[in-house]
Amino acid sequence: MRPTAAGVTRAVALAAALAAVGLLPWLSGRDPALTVLRARSVEQEPTEEALSAIRRDLGLEAGPLSLLGDWATGLLRGDLGTSWVSGTDILPSVASGLQVSLGLMAAALLVAVLLAVALVTPVLVRGKGSAGAFAAMAAAVPEFLLATVALLVCGVWLGWLPTSGWQGPEYMVLPALALGVPAGGLLGRLVADALPAVLDERWVELWHGAGVSRTRVAFAALRRVLPPLVPQFGMVAVGLTGGAVAVETVFAVPGIGRTALGAAKSQDLPLLQGAVLALLALGLITGALAALVRRRLLGPALRDAGLSLPPARPARAHPAIPAAFGALLLAAIGWGLLRDPYAVDTTARLAPPSWANPMGTDGLGRDVLARLGHGAASTVGTAAAVCLLSLVVALALGFVPGIAAGAADIANALPPVIVGILVAAAAGPGTRGAALAVALISWPPLAAHAAALVQEVRASAFLTAQRAIGAPPLWILTRHVLPSVAAPVARHALLRLPGIALALASLGFLGLGAQPPAPEWGLLLDESRAYVERAPWAALAPAAALALLAGLAVSGAAYAQGRGDRRTSGRTVRKETARAV
Amino acid sequence: MSHPLLDVRDLVVRYGPVTAVDHLSFSVDAGETLALNGPSGCGKSSTALAVLQLRRPDAGEVRFEGRELTYLTERELRPLRPRMQPVFQDPYGSLSPRQRIRDAVAEPLKVHGRWNPANGPARVTELLDRVGLDPSCGDRRPHELSGGQCQRAGIARALASDPRLLVLDEPVSALDASVRAGVLNLLADLQDELGLGYLFICHDRAVVRHFADRVIEMREGRPVPT
Amino acid sequence: MPSEALLSVRDLRISFGEVEAVRGLTFDVRPHEVFALVGESGAGKSLTARALLGMAPRDATVGGSVRLRDNVDLAAERGRRITLVPQDALSALSPVHPVGDQLAAAVRSVRRLSRREAQARAVAALDRVGIPDAARRARAYPHEYSGGMRQRAVIAMATVNEPDVVVADEPTTALDEERREQVLRVLAEQREAVGAALVLVTHDLDVVRDHADRVLVMYAGRAAELGPVRQVLGRPRAPYTAGLLASLPQDGPRRRLPVLGGTPPAPDALGPGCAFAPRCPLATDPCHDREPALQAVDGRLVACHHAADVPDPLRKFV
Repeated sequence: MRPTAAGVTRAVALAAALAAVGLLPWLSGRDPALTVLRARSVEQEPTEEALSAIRRDLGLEAGPLSLLGDWATGLLRGDLGTSWVSGTDILPSVASGLQVSLGLMAAALLVAVLLAVALVTPVLVRGKGSAGAFAAMAAAVPEFLLATVALLVCGVWLGWLPTSGWQGPEYMVLPALALGVPAGGLLGRLVADALPAVLDERWVELWHGAGVSRTRVAFAALRRVLPPLVPQFGMVAVGLTGGAVAVETVFAVPGIGRTALGAAKSQDLPLLQGAVLALLALGLITGALAALVRRRLLGPALRDAGLSLPPARPARAHPAIPAAFGALLLAAIGWGLLRDPYAVDTTARLAPPSWANPMGTDGLGRDVLARLGHGAASTVGTAAAVCLLSLVVALALGFVPGIAAGAADIANALPPVIVGILVAAAAGPGTRGAALAVALISWPPLAAHAAALVQEVRASAFLTAQRAIGAPPLWILTRHVLPSVAAPVARHALLRLPGIALALASLGFLGLGAQPPAPEWGLLLDESRAYVERAPWAALAPAAALALLAGLAVSGAAYAQGRGDRRTSGRTVRKETARAV
Repeated sequence: MSHPLLDVRDLVVRYGPVTAVDHLSFSVDAGETLALNGPSGCGKSSTALAVLQLRRPDAGEVRFEGRELTYLTERELRPLRPRMQPVFQDPYGSLSPRQRIRDAVAEPLKVHGRWNPANGPARVTELLDRVGLDPSCGDRRPHELSGGQCQRAGIARALASDPRLLVLDEPVSALDASVRAGVLNLLADLQDELGLGYLFICHDRAVVRHFADRVIEMREGRPVPT
Repeated sequence: MPSEALLSVRDLRISFGEVEAVRGLTFDVRPHEVFALVGESGAGKSLTARALLGMAPRDATVGGSVRLRDNVDLAAERGRRITLVPQDALSALSPVHPVGDQLAAAVRSVRRLSRREAQARAVAALDRVGIPDAARRARAYPHEYSGGMRQRAVIAMATVNEPDVVVADEPTTALDEERREQVLRVLAEQREAVGAALVLVTHDLDVVRDHADRVLVMYAGRAAELGPVRQVLGRPRAPYTAGLLASLPQDGPRRRLPVLGGTPPAPDALGPGCAFAPRCPLATDPCHDREPALQAVDGRLVACHHAADVPDPLRKFV
């Protein structure tokens, strides 16, 4: 097989990710010697000799290349090094974490598949329609939010299930639900959205017309839908690795995700390297498995049939729904912006909602509404900047389709949380690091979209007509290609804004983004967890705001797609109308 | 004139291992219609693209108004391109969905610096009128028009370049019978009036026999005796 | 020719909300005949074909009746006694199922047969349409078939249960002449082999002339003219049929083709009068006020107030 541009990009991106992991100690640029010294022996004085002994010990003085070499050779021998903090071998702790996480993910996958089946069945039975708002919402709610709400409702208020630890099957229920429901929503949505278009294909008409029963047609449609979607199922499974970090943290599950996060926070870089490597490997193996399943599903005869699905026709949303979500959010934010988010009032700690504090106060007596309003400025503002950056990069790279496709593959295999952990480990946690992490993975889908549009425009007859009238390439590029590509990609970028904000919030929640006392939404939710039994409103306010944001993302996307659908419908029905004058 | 408007010798077009056009020769005079007829996949459309130099032929000569085109660079071709214009099969696809009809027709004038704000709009209206389109159509976009109207707009855009040769690639295949007749009449009138040469590509034998002066039957990239 | 109707359609109406796309069609299809439904896009012919099979779109309201001889429940007979050859036969097979399995699924949905027996019937049907080495080919996928073979397989699927009526919706659209003739030939052979009638939906008058026994010319959801092909196309009595015929390119020296001016009306913008009146050179005041009923003229049914005055299109049309 000849290497394709996408394949090369894929290999390069993978190598870069591996190198970034290997070079973490050097990339971080901060002197870990003191951390290590403190961790190893509290009594020892931080003298220059002791510190440089540790540096030598860690191999930090030899420079990046030898560091990378040492790490790589150790890796080949199955040696992941020793922890800077505990001084123990890393392999056993990674292995035990991985074991726990795999169990959790398997349970989550079961939840996801059950939910997906429940979502797809009505579409198959009715033959039309889509899984609707519930699936979209389930897919959009981030795991950390769902986990917190599940913890609050089932664990704390109702007391049904244990919320912390990993001692038996009952400990698995809530984490598996929190991890599995968004994945199931996404799975179900992928299938349910693709089904109506497949049921409109010609062969369904032929089968119906030849008398084939509805049940048979329904199963055949499922058989038709699944193989092209398998790579996306793989992505959903990869997404579980990212979600696991948040869910394990919330429920104190000793899995690989929590290990990675803990290592990043305590600057235990070798442990972090091992944990991230395990997560990456998990993602890659899932991707490979997905490819294998796809080949099995297709069988040798179909492998070269170039199967693709007809474009899904999304259900149109009423504009009032996103407008209502947006208005509600804006009202709360606007009100909150008028108040002081930093004013500490120790006499009014954890006060319930009142006229003075409409959403109550937090553990330091700060007004929750004020912090919510100001948090929006930082969360959504940062998200907007990330969005704009992604758009510019996507438009520039959209003209090099190979690169865009390869990079999109890698970015899809990397959950934002893991990139966030890496960036935070290298650059220290902070808003800028979180923004960088999210930006790194948010441009590729846009670039892939841009590349597809560029290809479509370049292949169109009207562009050929442009060349035929003798228009120079620059004219064609600036007057036809760019305008055709920029507007839809910009719309796409705008649609991703709430999603990007949620990704930023999830990094904030994990302590990888904005730092206290900044009023970032994810951070607000995280801080409120400590006193959630006594002051649930402090948790509910940011949770509700994040849920509204997710709702806005879903309904806004549905509305915009519905509109886009209507606009292009003039072209899709041209076969029927072309013959009428 | 000593030489034909278009003279094609031993044209070869390959797509990888597949030879789409295999040593095809023909010529088209001004005011004349030469039809290429044959089943789908016989190389008709590849010939059209190769004549227009929109896909460079792999071998052979394409002489237009006595000038050999195959050796010219893209930049050298550009000033010659307006003199040979295509009309495509898909009436909607050949116009930009984002452009109003008026702007699409004006574009050839603008590309070649012949646009004059004073009389340009009048020229566009004249062209629309020439192809039988109401001036109000000019302010619409392709999806707001019928297939026949779009095809007329495509012809108006081709005329804006003042061409000598039109390469008509299945121009009426996507149109209903009653609409088809109108477009064929329009093409006949334009030819009589402007003395245009037509390379007319069509798979419908009845249309070809009605419309063309001469016909080349094609099979697998080669002419076959009729 | 037996005159007893095999399929009777009475006052068929299909509407989407307020808009009526098919506005009262009445016709019979007789055993073993080729019945053509002809019209331009938007005339409602494909919708009508779907309604014959009980396959109208979900959002459509269907009125009137469609009956098979000695049977009322049409939906139960779909696939058994009436089947469909859909448009665009090149993409009409499922890409992920072996061709033989698709035919067998049709067999097993209609008859209680074992998997093996159904497969044998599928192979026999493929063999009948001229697929070489049918037993082996039945296990192949559509993308392993050539274009012509795919078209044959689609026809085989529509005839595998030996129906009484085959409805073919634009089976030749977008095909070049050779393919077109090939498809029509296979359709004719299969029709004879299983003894079915064929309802041929098309916009191509040449196809009607060469392959159909009777024709229904549709305009704006109604019948303009209905009768034997020889009468209707030989000497049309509806101005619309005459105009369509006249606009066909003819052999011989190039001349201006007579063109039907104007455009077909949108179904939601119909006046009280004849739908064709705005484009009709013969239209008078009554035409704009009152929709003409079908009347017997010259061996066929015509809906026109001026049926007697329609000139012969093959000589000169206005």
